Amino acid sequence: MRPFFPSLAELNRKGVMGLNERNLRLVTELNPRHLMRLVNDKSITKNLAIAAGIPTPELVGTIRTSWDMRGLAEMLARPGGVAIKPANGSQGNGILVITDPVAGGYRLANGQRITFSDLRFHVMNIRSGMYSLGGLPDTALLEERVRFAEVFDDISFKGVPDIRIIVLKGVPIVAMLRLPTAVSDGKANLHKGGVGVGLDLTSGVSRLGMQYNGLIDQHPDTGNPLMGLKTPFWEEMLSMAAQAYDVTGLGYLGADIVIDADRGPLLLELNGRPGIAIQVANRFGLRAHIEPVLARDTSGMSVAERIAFGQEVYLSVHAPVSAS
Amino acid sequence: MLLTTHATRPTVTSELHSRILALGLILAGVFVFLHKAITLDYPIFPDETRTVWNLEILIEFAADNRPVRIESFLPAKSEDRELVDEQFYSGPFGLRLDQEGENGNRKAIWTYRYPEGPKVLRYRTTLVEETRDTPLPPEMQRENRGGDVLFETSLERQAFLVWMSNLRRQSADKETLVDLMLQELFSTNLSDEVAALVRPLPPPLDRLELARMVLETQGVPARIANGVILDDARRRAETVSWLEYHLNGKDRRYFTLGNPSVFFPLWYGLDELVDADGVTELSTQLSLQPSRLAGGSGAASGLGNDDPLLSLFSFDKLPLTTQLVYQVLLTIPVGILILVFLRQFVGIQTLGTFMPVLIGIAFRETALLTGLLLFSLLIGLGLALRFYLERLKLLLVPRLAVVLVFIVLCMAVITTLTAESGVRIGLSISLFPMVILTMTIERMSIVWEEYDAAEAMKQGLGSLAVASLTYLAMTNSQVEYMMFNFPELLLVIMGLCLLMGRYMGMRLSELRRFRDLSRPE
Repeated sequence: MRPFFPSLAELNRKGVMGLNERNLRLVTELNPRHLMRLVNDKSITKNLAIAAGIPTPELVGTIRTSWDMRGLAEMLARPGGVAIKPANGSQGNGILVITDPVAGGYRLANGQRITFSDLRFHVMNIRSGMYSLGGLPDTALLEERVRFAEVFDDISFKGVPDIRIIVLKGVPIVAMLRLPTAVSDGKANLHKGGVGVGLDLTSGVSRLGMQYNGLIDQHPDTGNPLMGLKTPFWEEMLSMAAQAYDVTGLGYLGADIVIDADRGPLLLELNGRPGIAIQVANRFGLRAHIEPVLARDTSGMSVAERIAFGQEVYLSVHAPVSAS
Repeated sequence: MLLTTHATRPTVTSELHSRILALGLILAGVFVFLHKAITLDYPIFPDETRTVWNLEILIEFAADNRPVRIESFLPAKSEDRELVDEQFYSGPFGLRLDQEGENGNRKAIWTYRYPEGPKVLRYRTTLVEETRDTPLPPEMQRENRGGDVLFETSLERQAFLVWMSNLRRQSADKETLVDLMLQELFSTNLSDEVAALVRPLPPPLDRLELARMVLETQGVPARIANGVILDDARRRAETVSWLEYHLNGKDRRYFTLGNPSVFFPLWYGLDELVDADGVTELSTQLSLQPSRLAGGSGAASGLGNDDPLLSLFSFDKLPLTTQLVYQVLLTIPVGILILVFLRQFVGIQTLGTFMPVLIGIAFRETALLTGLLLFSLLIGLGLALRFYLERLKLLLVPRLAVVLVFIVLCMAVITTLTAESGVRIGLSISLFPMVILTMTIERMSIVWEEYDAAEAMKQGLGSLAVASLTYLAMTNSQVEYMMFNFPELLLVIMGLCLLMGRYMGMRLSELRRFRDLSRPE
């Protein structure tokens, strides 16, 4: 039975952290406001990542002015499909993924058809700031569509699985796999009913999962067990996430990474105030991971040293799991 | 000490810093509050005061370089009635007081030869209310033998005689005759005789004056009083007229609309409150506000005003209309405090940060239940339009504009419909904030599309719940009274917000969110 209200003592023992604590101790303390711009605007993030050699989905084009709108049809014609995103969007709102042109329009990733005029309207909405923070005018970003590797096909329902790694002062501390479900409409967004699965930080092997903050151990749509799947390119992803700290200077970061079938792991975006649902996916609070890192001066450490340190802290909290 | 720790342990310093600041603010607020409540003996509860009213007459007009003469009635003084702290704001105008006019009226006469542009004149005083038991002056209490019929034309005299003989036939004595007369006079269908007699004056003076004349012929001393009804504080008070007479050894008052419990007569007779010569765009505003300081006739002259510390915090010297605005403004921080608590400690989700408080303020115009109904109705209609507009593919700002115009239209329709059916909400809707409604609709529809209807409803209902709570707090008379008379409590509220700003614990909603994590494995 799910208790209506939990025992506070048990939550404290597990070091579960609330939004107030995250905002005060992590976001306000470690993320200077002037740096947040670097991750809020995806086009800036992308440029930073390219400069640092972190692979990202290729940029097809940006639409800022009505003049740019003339290029829309040409950009959409790119073989392999494109993803349209608001540069300043949050929580995956306003993202449309187009796979290929069909008669009278384009096919979306979820199989539906959309007309060109509907697409133009969507881009106009993005530009007028419908999805941006504070409703400010925004830029629409068109990126190459990522062709997802098949590793997680057994535990995904349509859409886009991605990997979220939390990086504290450059040290990757916890990670989770986010899986789309039927209710989340192909999006790996936990708010919308996506599934979060804790990942073993040392090996990238999946543990148990959660949906709507409740604990699950099978994918709700495919019924396959969530536990024991090995994430490929794991070391590479950890180092991409750790590097993101050097690039942005933000002390509390969420790095969202997808695996492309051809290009391997790609940094999708960075988040300057990553959520706390990852605690449920990992079945343990964040505090145990955070305190040792906060106490340590990480400024002189290399990427490899920081990854090793994060894994050491992780092992002091969790027992490792092995791939099945 | 503070500075040295800053370099090494920023968390500890900001924590300590905000705590010290919060403590300082709270202590300062509480100190002033206690000083006023204990040392200066300010009453803490509103009902401890005997009601004393601040009255203000504000006359605004435009002058055009012509000689100007403005006459305004002032509340009359008498032995039982004391006016405290009379103040005139006359600007360059010459002021003369006519203390003993006709009917015992007092008048202020402002004059100026060559005024130019918009001008303001103001009169303020503090006075004690009257009730139905307040005695009429002695000269009103002498019944006489009655006078001649005062009507001029023979037709009127004829009608009067017919009417009086009817009344006399239907009544038992003078008292029932008067009752019957008044009842007939203020019924909707006048008999032909009465219609012929009604005086050529604006209502209700036309009938009151006729009643007064009839009473005079019966030897009953009577006069028409003009004044304000004090049942409720209003920014703009309307003057009303009533009849005062003395019959069978008793003072009586006849009000044409209901029977107010407290009121105050300003002048007697048929004249208007303000009479102006040589001006344009004349506007007269009467405002009334219950005053806290009472418990003695002289108390209203301002208890703490000698204390330099307190004169800083006192609104007494402001114009009454401004004071009434502050009375509302000062309660808003209380609403904000509740909102902060509900968000940081309970974790209620709302549409927009301060939106619920703004909605709560809007409920002031409509009262809670009608406010909730109206709000839900307008949001519902607006959402329907918003979903329809989605098909037309409009740009964001024009779409918002269409929704806003639609909301105004809906409000106009609702007002007309309710006015016809006689429900009073139509009047109070006027200032219902459309911009807030429009933004709420837009946000709600985005949540609806991005998540689902349930999430949109949850946030909408959360906002309404918070709005209702803040409304109840902000309109609570004790809260209103405390905040207005002890504005130093703002410091306490600020301190509390500072403390809440450093609250790191769980929100109530998060306890529920993480309930599955709390099971020991």
